[in-house]
Amino acid sequence: MSVLRGRWLLAPGVFWLVAFFAIPVAVLAGTSLMPRGIYGGVTAGFTLEHYSRFLDPLYLGILARTLLLSAICTAICLLAGYPVALGIARSGRWKNLLLFLVILPLWTSFLVRTYAMIFLLRDHGLINETLMALGITSAPLHLLYTRGAVLAGLVYGLLPLMILPLYTSLEKLDPTLLEAAEVLGARPLSRFWRVILPLSLPGTIAGCLLVFIPSLGAFLTPDLLGGAKDMMIGSLIQNQFGPARDWPFGSAASVVVMVVVLVAMLGWLRRRPEVL
Amino acid sequence: MRRAPRSIVALTTLGFITMHVPVLVLAVFSFNRSRYGASWEGFTLDWYRRLAERPDILAALKVSLVVGGLSTAIATTIGTLFAVGMTRGPRRGAAWLESLVLLPIVTPEIVMGIGLLALFATLGIALGITTIVIAHVAFSIPFVIVVVRARLAGMDRTLEEAAMTLGATGRSAFLKVTLPLLWPGIIAAALLAFTMSIDDFVITFFVAGPGSSTLPLVIYAMARRAVEPSINAVSTLLVAASTLLILGFDRLSPRRGS
Amino acid sequence: MTTRREVLGGLGAALAVAWGCNRRSAASDDPALPLGPMETRLAIYNWSDYIAPDTVRGFERETGVRVTYDTYESNEEMFAKLQAGASGYDLAVPSSYMLPAMRASNLLAPLHGQYIQGRGAIAPLFRHPPFDPAEQFTVPWQWGITGIAWRRDLVRTAPSDWGIFFDQRWRGRMTMMDDGREVLGAMLKHRGRPLNDAEAASLATAKADAIRAKANLRAYKSAPVKADLIAGDVWIAQLWNGDAAQAALDQPAISFVLPGDGSAIWTDSFVLLRDAPHPRAAHAFLEYILRPDVAAKVADATGYGSPNAPALARQRHPVPYPSPEERSRLEYFEDLGAATELWDRAWTEIKSA
Repeated sequence: MSVLRGRWLLAPGVFWLVAFFAIPVAVLAGTSLMPRGIYGGVTAGFTLEHYSRFLDPLYLGILARTLLLSAICTAICLLAGYPVALGIARSGRWKNLLLFLVILPLWTSFLVRTYAMIFLLRDHGLINETLMALGITSAPLHLLYTRGAVLAGLVYGLLPLMILPLYTSLEKLDPTLLEAAEVLGARPLSRFWRVILPLSLPGTIAGCLLVFIPSLGAFLTPDLLGGAKDMMIGSLIQNQFGPARDWPFGSAASVVVMVVVLVAMLGWLRRRPEVL
Repeated sequence: MRRAPRSIVALTTLGFITMHVPVLVLAVFSFNRSRYGASWEGFTLDWYRRLAERPDILAALKVSLVVGGLSTAIATTIGTLFAVGMTRGPRRGAAWLESLVLLPIVTPEIVMGIGLLALFATLGIALGITTIVIAHVAFSIPFVIVVVRARLAGMDRTLEEAAMTLGATGRSAFLKVTLPLLWPGIIAAALLAFTMSIDDFVITFFVAGPGSSTLPLVIYAMARRAVEPSINAVSTLLVAASTLLILGFDRLSPRRGS
Repeated sequence: MTTRREVLGGLGAALAVAWGCNRRSAASDDPALPLGPMETRLAIYNWSDYIAPDTVRGFERETGVRVTYDTYESNEEMFAKLQAGASGYDLAVPSSYMLPAMRASNLLAPLHGQYIQGRGAIAPLFRHPPFDPAEQFTVPWQWGITGIAWRRDLVRTAPSDWGIFFDQRWRGRMTMMDDGREVLGAMLKHRGRPLNDAEAASLATAKADAIRAKANLRAYKSAPVKADLIAGDVWIAQLWNGDAAQAALDQPAISFVLPGDGSAIWTDSFVLLRDAPHPRAAHAFLEYILRPDVAAKVADATGYGSPNAPALARQRHPVPYPSPEERSRLEYFEDLGAATELWDRAWTEIKSA
């Protein structure tokens, strides 16, 4: 009887996720294989032209640039987030407060946080006004609408997603292992490199994935912070569903992104995701 | 645990400053009398007062609350049932279920957004509050499941079994013993789902119909037009609301690592 | 048997008639047929910042109709939302070049001329436009031109043509619109080509020019660049005349110039949507906005040109109609049809450069 109950409990969830997650992705895949209607929709038929169009250096270049930016963003988040995660894990009675302070930006609207960056980086924003007031610069620096601004926006937005899984991993670290290493004569750097780092690998991988994947699909940040000068794959996809009115091509690009995500995830899905 | 070395403390502090300063600046300047520039010209509540006069913001607030309420109720219910079923259910197919739950969490929002748009367009479903609610439920369910499962995992099964030994039926034991113990986790999950709903931009952007703009969509439209303190004001309010909700979530959620 | 067939036929006919009558008295396909009684509501979908504050209220007060008014930022946004079907809107305001696409997607309903008497107020320049010669689908709302907005106090001499965007002196201080049609259009005009050129060779040249100009640009920004112009972050911007006029209210040093090598003129018109649930109220609104006093207030608020001739006399800041000389330099945007993919690819390449 409990088996039956189990199944019924699962049904609504399965239905919803299949109907409104799995099927939409399938619809996208299907749309990507159909010819484009003249005004943007699809017409009946089967074609691989959208994928072959994607193999053009222009679009592959966009994908490559996006992958590069996402990789850099992930690396920066890792370098910046690791010490913070370590700090929280060792903070004793402050731990809960600090954790709350990490969760908070995570669940604050990404849009608001991006707008906050605009406010900071603009020519008459806080950073420039402070620099000029301190006499360090005499004219405003063009911080906004640059690739650097996009990177800064992505790092700022995604850093908490790196810190949390890292912290979870580090927190589970057995302190006796470190003490043993110290007793055996290992210096701090060696202890870090040979004990802490390898043992925190699950958290590191999880954090990297949680940063890499959203940055891959970002279109808001390049649009608002980058001055719309750079086309990332997220902007390309959004453009196809907007002004370019080419839904099948946009769907093909989305499928490509999904494939990249799944490939990245493959390694992680194999190991059980304990860090969530 | 050992105390952290000074360098770590410094870096940690820097990290927290980086994570919070932008929004704090945003909030502070929502009270600035000056319309342009970053120079402080005096404290004022004008920008907040003006929000009340804007029909687009008031309408968006209503939509956000309606969508948030509906999607939270539905997602929390479905997610809780699922979490319970998964914890107690048959082992068969568990891997598939895990993937089904995890994939929405890691899928880029843009893919999910346009997938839903494509689905609705194919089925001829008009974009509006209904489609937004459907979308919000879809991305909230996995998070509800994760939170409730964590709570379930930390719970003592023997209490329910003891109740059954004492004569309660399976259903009664669940309702009278397990559910009350589970309740804080469910509320935490609901608060999280509500926060995600009112804050969401990308997915809502694609599935919202005319006349059903949520607060983030209105903020985006405003931000694209001009940088002015009204945007700061409405953003600050949104952040304040999220903060309160997440405070509640943090209090009620299962303690990590304890 | 004959009797049965007749009965069935009769039933079928009756059902067809009943079905036809029961279809929402949405705008019928035959514009000669009268519409039903005045409804109590109306739903309008328009660009943002594109109406006077009291226009809708005035209409509501006069007719007792309750209006839902929503806005969009671009034609594509409006089109995408309407294409998804059953939006509930009665009226929308597309730009002229969107009309073929909307008609092909079956989004428009023909207007019932007997309810719109005020067309005489429209200036001859905007009567029987190329995109709607029989005036079956549109009522002109505002017209505008794309040009260059610039700060007189920061840039001493007026930009004379689109070549300004190649000028290194203003590097980092200029923007062009985030719109492939506008950017490529400007580059095409700079080379003396038509605005809607579908020829691959001239598009390639325009694209190369646009990439050259991109190095000098601060950003691609459309109407929102107003704020940057006012703040002095941007000194030269490709912009529409109405937005430039609005910005000039806050910063009088902002001027607008029509480039010497030509540019785009466009008209935005009200259209009746196919599934409009309130066609009678929609027509009443269209008649209302053709009134010169209403049109004058709208144009004063938006800063754009009003196609309503008597309205100009009542405006505080009328935008004069283009002179014949200026008109010769201006072209309407048209739907690109099959060339859309070519243009889109060019724009993608510019953005990726």
